Amino acid sequence: MEQKTGVIVVNGLPIVQAQFSWSVGSQMQSFLKALANKKFLASKCPECGYVYAPPRNTCHRCYKKMGEKDLVELSGKGVLLGWTVAYVELDGKGNFVDLKKPKIIGALRLDGANSTIFMPLEADARDLKAGMKMALEWNSETKGGWKDINYFKPAR
Amino acid sequence: MFRNCAIIGCGQTKHSSRRRDVSVAELVGQAVDAALLDAGITMKDVGCVVSGNMQGFGGVAQPDLWIGDWMGIPGKPAIRIATGGTTGGSVGQGACYTVASGMYDISLGVAWEKHSDSKEAGATTGLMHVGMGNLFHALTYGLSLKNLIATTAVGAAAGVAVYQARFYMNRSGCRQEHLDMVAAKARRNAAKNPYAHLQWPNCQPSDIAKTELIAFPFRYGHVCPASDGASAIVVAEEKTARKLCKQPAWFLGMGSYSDEENQLQSENYGGVGVIDPSEQMGCRVSAQKAYAMAGITDPQKEIDLAEIYQPFPSQELIFSERLGLFDDGTAWRHMEKGETDINGRMPISVSGGVNATNAIGSSALQRILEAALQVQGKAGEHQVPKKVRKAVAHGWGGVTNYITVTVLGNSPR
Amino acid sequence: MPYLKDERPATMMVEGDWQVGAYRYKAPRLLEEFSAGMKEKKIIGSMCMGCGKVITQPRNICGRCHRRMEGRRVLSDWGTITCFVTSPPVEKGRYKIFGMDPVDTGTLKLGEILIPVFVRFDGSDSNINCLLLNAKPEEVFIGMRVKAVWAKELKGAMSDLEGVEPIREK
Repeated sequence: MEQKTGVIVVNGLPIVQAQFSWSVGSQMQSFLKALANKKFLASKCPECGYVYAPPRNTCHRCYKKMGEKDLVELSGKGVLLGWTVAYVELDGKGNFVDLKKPKIIGALRLDGANSTIFMPLEADARDLKAGMKMALEWNSETKGGWKDINYFKPAR
Repeated sequence: MFRNCAIIGCGQTKHSSRRRDVSVAELVGQAVDAALLDAGITMKDVGCVVSGNMQGFGGVAQPDLWIGDWMGIPGKPAIRIATGGTTGGSVGQGACYTVASGMYDISLGVAWEKHSDSKEAGATTGLMHVGMGNLFHALTYGLSLKNLIATTAVGAAAGVAVYQARFYMNRSGCRQEHLDMVAAKARRNAAKNPYAHLQWPNCQPSDIAKTELIAFPFRYGHVCPASDGASAIVVAEEKTARKLCKQPAWFLGMGSYSDEENQLQSENYGGVGVIDPSEQMGCRVSAQKAYAMAGITDPQKEIDLAEIYQPFPSQELIFSERLGLFDDGTAWRHMEKGETDINGRMPISVSGGVNATNAIGSSALQRILEAALQVQGKAGEHQVPKKVRKAVAHGWGGVTNYITVTVLGNSPR
Repeated sequence: MPYLKDERPATMMVEGDWQVGAYRYKAPRLLEEFSAGMKEKKIIGSMCMGCGKVITQPRNICGRCHRRMEGRRVLSDWGTITCFVTSPPVEKGRYKIFGMDPVDTGTLKLGEILIPVFVRFDGSDSNINCLLLNAKPEEVFIGMRVKAVWAKELKGAMSDLEGVEPIREK
């Protein structure tokens, strides 16, 4: 009998998906629901004062527990720390697709928060400078989810 | 060989089918907090964190990146271990290795699973991750759908376990009613364990026998649940353990053996070299290694309690024989006489075991944790009445081919 | 069932999916040999030149010796049942594969009893997992002698071996 060497390529079937629905926990739930009222919440550690945006239930520096009483509201304005511009994205089938309009993602420190957050930016990349003030632009319809935030843009 | 170390603190969350009140990070955080409280230390005292779970089931790839803060990883080395069903057992042994080697004085071992984060009920999503590559490969070569459904879906809830049970029943004389007895005992014991999942106070074999048949010999009442939960242990070296804990649970011996795949098809849909999945040579060898390290020559007399990884009742019987606790083919006879009950001569899985609580990543760690609680005398309502000098904790994973066996005791080597 | 209940308030959920099929696996050609053998009604196994073990479907590494299983043997299409499992009669909605119900698609018949078995074909040291056909569940026993049932049209695919049936000739 002839022995076969080498490999064959086996393609996964496109119809198979593993579907998930991750529970968010109570702090994140408060955050997501507050977005409907155009409020951006954070949690402040009662022991060391570190503010996390979005909120969480354990401080990573002093391990103090945080709950609903530790939620604080932020103004939605912040400082741009850095950014990157994406010219391609993946189509979910292993191919790169050229973006007609490049997408900008910015690293921001929101006023009142100590943590960093990454958000889509609406701006001309050439105008951006580290340290400039940015402001949140809400969606015209806010239902209580991440889609309520359109993007951040340079504050006037 | 290695320096002495012991478990000085244990923490678990309540296991149930849908812990939707918390995100998976918060769930893990609860177990870690409980373990640190029990040990009387803070996260600052921990030198190394060993964690593990089976990522396909909860849908979080590289979970340490997200859950790390809740595990207390920042500032410390973190190791992730995944060995199928015995992930928890490897995590427990891993936490012990980091301390026993002399590298760290205190380590934290944490393992978890959150099945409810997957849309499909139970463990279906995770099993999809495990089997898909193999399946696509076989379909390319024209595997018939009928064959596929019949050979896998019929035993789907059980996989190899249903065939393994048949092999055992055939060579030992065990009957289906014995499986009913073991499943009832697990649920009865679980009712005494506040952290267990399927708690059925006073469950009787006749209750289990009323449930529908999946595929002979398994009924729905025999099968383990898919639980959400986390567990954590704190391991410390000898001086620290003596200072912090009145009765530490000392690591006396450890063994682990990875056998070749031994069920249905192997990867690439090839055949497997093991004929009888109930043979479990890996368990025999692991137990021998662990007992030799612990100085045990007659496990039937020297082991006081066993926590066996038994998602299916037949596995409690099979593995108790392979761990040397009963002679070959006789486990079902001893169980029938009540010897494996909480107040029996050889109590087995008095916490309810995996048959009543199965958060995959966490399950094998819970076996080590429960054995530790029994040695320490802290198990509460399901504490065995006799003094526990030596206990054995066992885990199996993969396609019943990864085995970990850990022996704990009330005094160091 | 009267299990103790544990009820807690559920929090919001965020959805997503993991494309389990978005992979292009590379696999060795061993199954190609096996399916080519199917076309000629041959069951092929690989043999380890260290311990002499013969495994079917073929594998490339012997698990115990860690040697390549370079030998090839053609096994008999008579064998012995080493294990069997019986399903309850097939109902609609009990099994789902790729989101489809096999009773709806005609793959399984309502009320059918499936008997998956492990068969050790003579000459092999491993089992093949397949269906027992043309037999009643009451007559199956471990150690029963069976022979392969081949498809009427052989295509060189794994489905050419439809299953096994009891050897009834004297």
